[in-house]
Amino acid sequence: MIKKVLVANRGEIAVRIIKACQEMNIKTVAIYSDVDKNAPHVQLADETCSLGDPTPIESYLNIPKIIKFAQETGADAIHPGYGFLAENPDFAKTCNDVGIKFIGPSPKVISLMGDKIAAKKTMEKAGVPVIPGYHGDKQDNKSLVKEGKKIGFPLLVKAAAGGGGKGMRIVHSKETLEESIESAKRESKSSFGNDTVFLEKYIDKPRHIEFQILADEHGNIIHLFERECSIQRRHQKIVEETPSPVMTKELRKKMGIAAVKTAEAVGYTNAGTVEFMVDGDLNFYFMEMNTRLQVEHPITEMTTGIDLAKWQLKIASGQKLTLKQKDLIQRGHAIECRIYAEDPSNGFLPSVGKLSKVETPTGPNIRDDTGIYTGMEITPYYDPMLSKLVVSSENREESINKMIWALSRYVVLGVATNVSFLKKVLGHGEFKKGNITTHFIDDYFKDWATSEKSLSVDAIISLAVYDSMHTKKQEIVRYKEADPHSPWKHVGRWRVGGKGV
Amino acid sequence: MFINYEHENNVYNVTIERRENKYFVTYDNTEYRVEAEEIKPGQLKIKIGDRIIKSIITEGDKEKYVFVDGAVFKVKPVELTGKKRTKKKEEGDLSSPISGKVVSVKIKKGDTVKKGDILMVIEAMKMEYLIRAPYDGKIDKVNFKEKDQIEIGQNTVEVTKT
Repeated sequence: MIKKVLVANRGEIAVRIIKACQEMNIKTVAIYSDVDKNAPHVQLADETCSLGDPTPIESYLNIPKIIKFAQETGADAIHPGYGFLAENPDFAKTCNDVGIKFIGPSPKVISLMGDKIAAKKTMEKAGVPVIPGYHGDKQDNKSLVKEGKKIGFPLLVKAAAGGGGKGMRIVHSKETLEESIESAKRESKSSFGNDTVFLEKYIDKPRHIEFQILADEHGNIIHLFERECSIQRRHQKIVEETPSPVMTKELRKKMGIAAVKTAEAVGYTNAGTVEFMVDGDLNFYFMEMNTRLQVEHPITEMTTGIDLAKWQLKIASGQKLTLKQKDLIQRGHAIECRIYAEDPSNGFLPSVGKLSKVETPTGPNIRDDTGIYTGMEITPYYDPMLSKLVVSSENREESINKMIWALSRYVVLGVATNVSFLKKVLGHGEFKKGNITTHFIDDYFKDWATSEKSLSVDAIISLAVYDSMHTKKQEIVRYKEADPHSPWKHVGRWRVGGKGV
Repeated sequence: MFINYEHENNVYNVTIERRENKYFVTYDNTEYRVEAEEIKPGQLKIKIGDRIIKSIITEGDKEKYVFVDGAVFKVKPVELTGKKRTKKKEEGDLSSPISGKVVSVKIKKGDTVKKGDILMVIEAMKMEYLIRAPYDGKIDKVNFKEKDQIEIGQNTVEVTKT
């Protein structure tokens, strides 16, 4: 068994992994940049190592530094979490080279799946359906524009090394094709250090449905059913659920077999996720395989009762999968909402600042995977996800109600968050009916502005009472005497900028 | 005591009088008689008629946040000057929407640009934000160069309309 794990990540996922290690009596090493020195993952770990400069490339992406820390602390394994170095084959290889176990698949598999073009070609060969497109080597703008016109519009420009919506562009007409290709290449270069792109047909009414895989190092592979991840903004998931409202027994069986076949075709080991696009007629296409633990893994854990993080550690220790496909069951329904520091009424722009208050709801079957605390500074250096709120219930309707209940009691003050937006999404009639596609947010919330357009009476009373409690007597007198005949005393609400008094 | 709050460009004015733990709040010509107690710092339990609400208030440097009935409001106390402060984004405002890093500058001083041309690319949290020309014009000044750190609200590029 692995004895000590260095967790090469931060935030909620580092916390999640450290807790799994602690349950299994595995020692942990946390790494942290200057802005994270008080972060929860640092508080929890047995040992900590300072990365210094918070710039990602100098900290959580700095392979030599991280390897050095692992060696110095005597860690025998590294867990990369998700993001950062999780899908970097060089990192996995460096770990192997120095005799430290990388908790994930082999560098070769990461490399293959990381190259979206090679992955699709491999899957096509293995008999897994893929989306029509151009996955060729000619990467000059002229050739790409030509191929794009052949496929027709709308089409998608995707970074070959991409993920999480980075380096991805939808193109609706040939006029914007070249500009989008350039922009995708640039973003891909800066995020992944590689600017290869590919083009593919844009599927109408697409759903994003993925299958969780566990594969041991002895050739046993199982899938742990689907996750419906269609609710996305800017191509990043914000709400995930399982089971999918469109899933049938037959389709689940077919897709599960395809997912296992995908993993088999490349000799996959450890936890992974096979992502499919499902169209309006329930045809499914292989999109990509994520060679790591996914952000949304908790909903699978809630419905199967299986701890994926712990299985990652067991598999990496060489243990055999004792779980058999036929014994696995899905029980009830689970939803995850990703809480982001971002402003949904302003194009989901990330919001930075100090968290003046964090207070989260607890209750039966409510799980809050979090890496934040009151007083924490949210900086522009890293992804703005604050936490993941997960609930489960007997069925979808009850899960939705529970999630809305929990979101209504989720207090994060000091930065703009998407909490009230998530509540509106969950409460939307079409969401409740299960009529969701990856266009859901664009279709129904395109010009969504904050629902709190005006201050509620309860908010006004709360503020006034608070200020009255916290204002010294002398100040009150001064306020009063400032202008006892002020006209403001006698009007209701008025608007700055001249419109509608 | 008389207070103004600014929220989403609206100003709300409220008066409040306190007698022990009873408060008389007047807003929009209605008086609310409430009983209140601060159960934890910043956490209020307020009885309004036969309703009880719980709210959480925090204070930042410039603003207050209120959490009540599952909603969050960010408000700023306003001075009693009565001066209307407009904060409307003006045409041609090219302030950065985000704090981040300038990854690419497409133009230089003196260039002529067409409406919609990309002038600068800013990256934050691994996402790209494009600064585009708001109208046809000529570049007067470029305030940042590649790899510069930029803060939210800082002016990126100055363009004169042609």
